[in-house]
Parts: sequence; structure tokens; C-alpha cells
Amino acid sequence: MTSSTPSQSRRGWVTPAVGAIWILLYFGARALLEKPPGEFGTAARVVVALAPIPAFAAFLWLLIRGVRSADEFERRIHLEALAVAYPLAILLLMTLGLLQRAIELKFEDWSYAHVWIYLPLFYFLGLALARRRYA
Amino acid sequence: MRNRLKVLRAERNWSQSDLGERVGVSRQAVTAIETGKYDPSLPLAFKLARLFGQPVEEIFFLEEVGTGE
Repeated sequence: MTSSTPSQSRRGWVTPAVGAIWILLYFGARALLEKPPGEFGTAARVVVALAPIPAFAAFLWLLIRGVRSADEFERRIHLEALAVAYPLAILLLMTLGLLQRAIELKFEDWSYAHVWIYLPLFYFLGLALARRRYA
Repeated sequence: MRNRLKVLRAERNWSQSDLGERVGVSRQAVTAIETGKYDPSLPLAFKLARLFGQPVEEIFFLEEVGTGE
């Protein structure tokens, strides 16, 4: 049961900043990987593909630390957000899996490479619903 | 569960943020508790009771269940 202290408030910008760095690196990596394989070697492409991971790991660690230091009410909000997001993620993946068996889904639209973005969106939807419930 | 938190807080001219700071929770948590949308944990309920100098059951109480009469 803790509230945000002034030092925590000052650190409040760190998590969004690291998240922004991760997003920039992710889209930068995607843009570079769109170039033909001949432009730079396989090793360089792998390095580019993995470049966003440290920033994402840092972002995740900051998020987890934020939840751990939150008060019991805020932790309840995050728990309810997960309770919405997790079943929705299962529903999406199960539906895509079944549809893939029924018809040919376009890889460019519905592969894991594109569908993952829905998972954080489900989490933010859950956060919005939980915050609205307790507002 | 209902509570007298809002009344007790108003008697002391504390804002929700003031109360939150005193017991280590956010203003939003105090709002949710006061409106009965969120039931605090036992440790938080005891902290609030100690802060107001009253027994927990004087601050938090179950809503009367109707008998159907």
C-alpha cells in the first residue's frame, strides 16, 4: 500500500519514454527489414531485428516495477485489465487458428507478425474498462 | 459494503488526496472506497480506522439485507 512519492512522480516520464524508444526502434527495424536482403547481410538483418528487444525488456521491467509499487486499488485495476485482455487474446488466437483451418488467411494480415499488436490493445481496453468501472 | 469515510474526512476538512497520502493510497482509491465501488483490504481498513481513531466496524459496515417484507 504505497502512494506515488514526489520522486516517483518525477520518474513518471521514464516508462513512457522507454516505451516510445521501443516503438521507434520497432518501426525503424521494420522499415530497414523491408529493404531487399541484398542491401545488407544476414547477420546485420538479425541484429536489426533484435534491436528493439532490449528497449522492450526495459519497458516491461518498468511496467512490472510500476505495478509492484502501486497501491492495492491500482493493482486491482491492472488485474481486471489482464482478466479482460487474456481471454480476448485466447479468443483471437483460437478464432484465427480455426479460420486458418477453414480458409487460407493472408499471411500479410493475420500472421503472428501482425496479430501481436492486438494483445497490448486488449490490455489497454481492459484498463479503460476497469478505470471506468471504479471512476 | 458501505462506509462513513466521506463524513469522517469532511469533519477534518481533508481532501481525498490528503486522506490518500495519510494512508498510502491514491486519490482514486479513496474515491472508489468512499463511493463503495471498491472494498479496501483489511490492512488498509485498519489503517483508516487507526487514523480516525475508531474501530473498523464503526467505519465500515455491511449493507442491510432486505427481508422481503
